[in-house]
Amino acid sequence: MLIPHPLLGLRDAQEFTYLGDASLLNRPDPATPGAEAAFCDYVFLRDNPAGVHRELWFHEQGDRSWLVVTRNTLTHEILSAELASDVKAGAAQ
Amino acid sequence: MTDLLPVTALGDSAPRSETFGPLSLSENAGLALASLALRRGQAAPAPFGLALPDVARAVTSGALGAFWTGRGQWMIEAGGKAESDFAAALEAEAPGCSVTEQTDGFVAFEVVSEAGAARLEALMSKLVNIDPKTLGPGCCTRTGLEHMTVFLVRRSETRLAVIGMRSLAGSLWHALSQAARRLEN
Amino acid sequence: MTFSGFKVIKEALTGYKGWGPLWRNPVPKPSYDIVIIGGGGHGLATAYYLAKRYGQANVAVLEKGWIGSGNAGRNTTIIRSNYLLPGNQPFYELSMKLWETLEQDTNFNSMVSQRGIINLIHSDGQRDAYRRRGNSMMISGAGARLLGRDELRQMVPFLNFDNARFPIKGGLMQERAGTARHDGVVWGYARGADRRGVDIIQNCEVTGFRIENGAVQGVETTRGFIGAGKVGVSVAGSSGRVMGYAGRRLPIESHALQAFVSEGLKPVIPGVITFGAGHFYVSQSDKGGLVFGGDIDGYNSYAQRGGLPVIEDVLEGGMALMPMIGRARLLRAWGGLVDMSMDGSPIIDRTDIAGLYFNGAWNYGGFKATPAAGLTFAHLLATDTPHETATAFRFDRFNRGYVIDEKGVGAQPNLH
Ligand SMILES: Cc1cc2nc3c(=O)[nH]c(=O)nc-3n(C[C@H](O)[C@H](O)[C@H](O)COP(=O)(O)OP(=O)(O)OC[C@H]3O[C@@H](n4cnc5c(N)ncnc54)[C@H](O)[C@@H]3O)c2cc1C
Repeated sequence: MLIPHPLLGLRDAQEFTYLGDASLLNRPDPATPGAEAAFCDYVFLRDNPAGVHRELWFHEQGDRSWLVVTRNTLTHEILSAELASDVKAGAAQ
Repeated sequence: MTDLLPVTALGDSAPRSETFGPLSLSENAGLALASLALRRGQAAPAPFGLALPDVARAVTSGALGAFWTGRGQWMIEAGGKAESDFAAALEAEAPGCSVTEQTDGFVAFEVVSEAGAARLEALMSKLVNIDPKTLGPGCCTRTGLEHMTVFLVRRSETRLAVIGMRSLAGSLWHALSQAARRLEN
Repeated sequence: MTFSGFKVIKEALTGYKGWGPLWRNPVPKPSYDIVIIGGGGHGLATAYYLAKRYGQANVAVLEKGWIGSGNAGRNTTIIRSNYLLPGNQPFYELSMKLWETLEQDTNFNSMVSQRGIINLIHSDGQRDAYRRRGNSMMISGAGARLLGRDELRQMVPFLNFDNARFPIKGGLMQERAGTARHDGVVWGYARGADRRGVDIIQNCEVTGFRIENGAVQGVETTRGFIGAGKVGVSVAGSSGRVMGYAGRRLPIESHALQAFVSEGLKPVIPGVITFGAGHFYVSQSDKGGLVFGGDIDGYNSYAQRGGLPVIEDVLEGGMALMPMIGRARLLRAWGGLVDMSMDGSPIIDRTDIAGLYFNGAWNYGGFKATPAAGLTFAHLLATDTPHETATAFRFDRFNRGYVIDEKGVGAQPNLH
């Protein structure tokens, strides 16, 4: 599998380590009511879809950036890859 | 006092070098390294007058050099300065940036081809999953080589620096020399 | 259909024309007391024990392909009860006891072969950890033996004892562990369940649930709606997908796990050998093929096939452990879809939807659990209370902080 790194181009997936669902970027706010339950969901529950999945990959043997990769879990086709820092900054705006 | 003998990353008393036909491999024991990272929003400095390079690029100026390692991050090199406190010198040149000494964490091997770029690229294609065409002179990248993480800096058509983890120096030398030897046959 | 020595000889002499199918191929009824989704080892064992031990025969097993086409027919067939933690070890020991009497129970040759398993030790720290595990195994009655280097060398002289990075210093052995013929397990349970009246319905994919007022009424399938008093989901790697039809998220990710088999060789490997440091384990089948595997591919997958990096990794592990493996030719490699959980341990529990029950999160190791998972899931479905040996496998253990994390790596499914 080759991951299209936004800065470095196509890179061997073996250079990366995998974390999981990109919803992990959206950490709940510990100060809100119900935060404990929200954290349980955040830490333990996953959509685990058969199909398009947005997920976090770390370019460990590379530029050490976190990517949000959109990939089909049935075919392994990669639809896009973005820098997680850009995704996070975009969401904050 | 105990007599301490300085040794290189490979445990030798002098830097190792070996030739394999037109390819030569040598340990660059004198290379000093320090990393430089920008704080959020900070503008890039020009330490020692080096224009810090863009994504996946490397620059040199005499014995000094810099190569890109990540967004807002570079490795700064100084040939022959391994015994000095290079990080302190760099910090003075890059006020406010995060500077960390790296010399003791890495080992640098210089590969030189006497038979043009083709031989060097043949060696690369045996060792790393990087298209040599995307790693021309002045380019750098970090990748995996036999499960080890390495920086590759293409110093020229016929010169490649392979900078890897110091504690794995023996394995890295083994991987490089083995591949170079096989090309010879 | 039954087998006997007389029948085998008769069929051999008359051209094998008298063998019939082992189970019926019934048309689904409009409704059942209990519908089990998934005709793998677990689903079929559940139906078998429901009928045999709990007097529930108005049961259907719905399988989207053919029975045993999932992980039940793709695994490396290792059975063992060498776990560490309290919630797990007694459960796997119950399973081991059931394996020991399985063939008498189902009257079917499932080729249960207790040839032993050896977990290799490479460091003092690992020996301490295995000594502790061995004690846990002894407490549950599973038995364990710590092997020294010399004794081990006599048993398996072909291993690379002096590997520079991972020298072999000994091993932890469970003599009662071994392998079983995976298809034979599926077929034995299927025949036993069918004979007791269970309908095994193949080529019947569940595509949704009918849920009214918080209670399940039945399942939508590619062969129409089938009503059910209770529904048990037992679909291994498809757990997320199927529970998603009920609008539920799980502490599970689906991952690909690969397995490999070499050409047939003379007997060389006495039992099962695991090389944890190098992600490699191996046994030898009765046909002589070396059966081996390693790590999961490491990223979410529903593809039922794996990638080349893991193949390389497993073969490197094999070469490091037993260099002679380099002379054997690889015959086949394949992948299965495993349900990796947040603590690496299983779930057998009710859900918050009345009448909907779940058995899953078996990670890469649910084959050995087949008899006990079937028995305890049947118990839960029949009595609505957890079996006494499976009380730890509840959904709420995550919220309550009682995770059963054998490896201690946290909520990171691809590391378990
Ligand atoms: C390569 C590999 C090696 C393994 N090695 C071992 C080992 O050595 N020891 C060990 O203990 N475990 C091992 N395992 C794990 C073990 O195989 C599984 O944990 C176990 O088989 C899961 O239970 P099962 O048999 O019921 O699953 P499966 O056989 O996968 O059964 C689930 C069934 O559900 C069906 N299904 C899915 N969705 C639907 C739907 N919507 N409608 C109807 N049916 C559906 C599937 O087709 C499938 O037949 C291995 C797994 C793999 C992949």
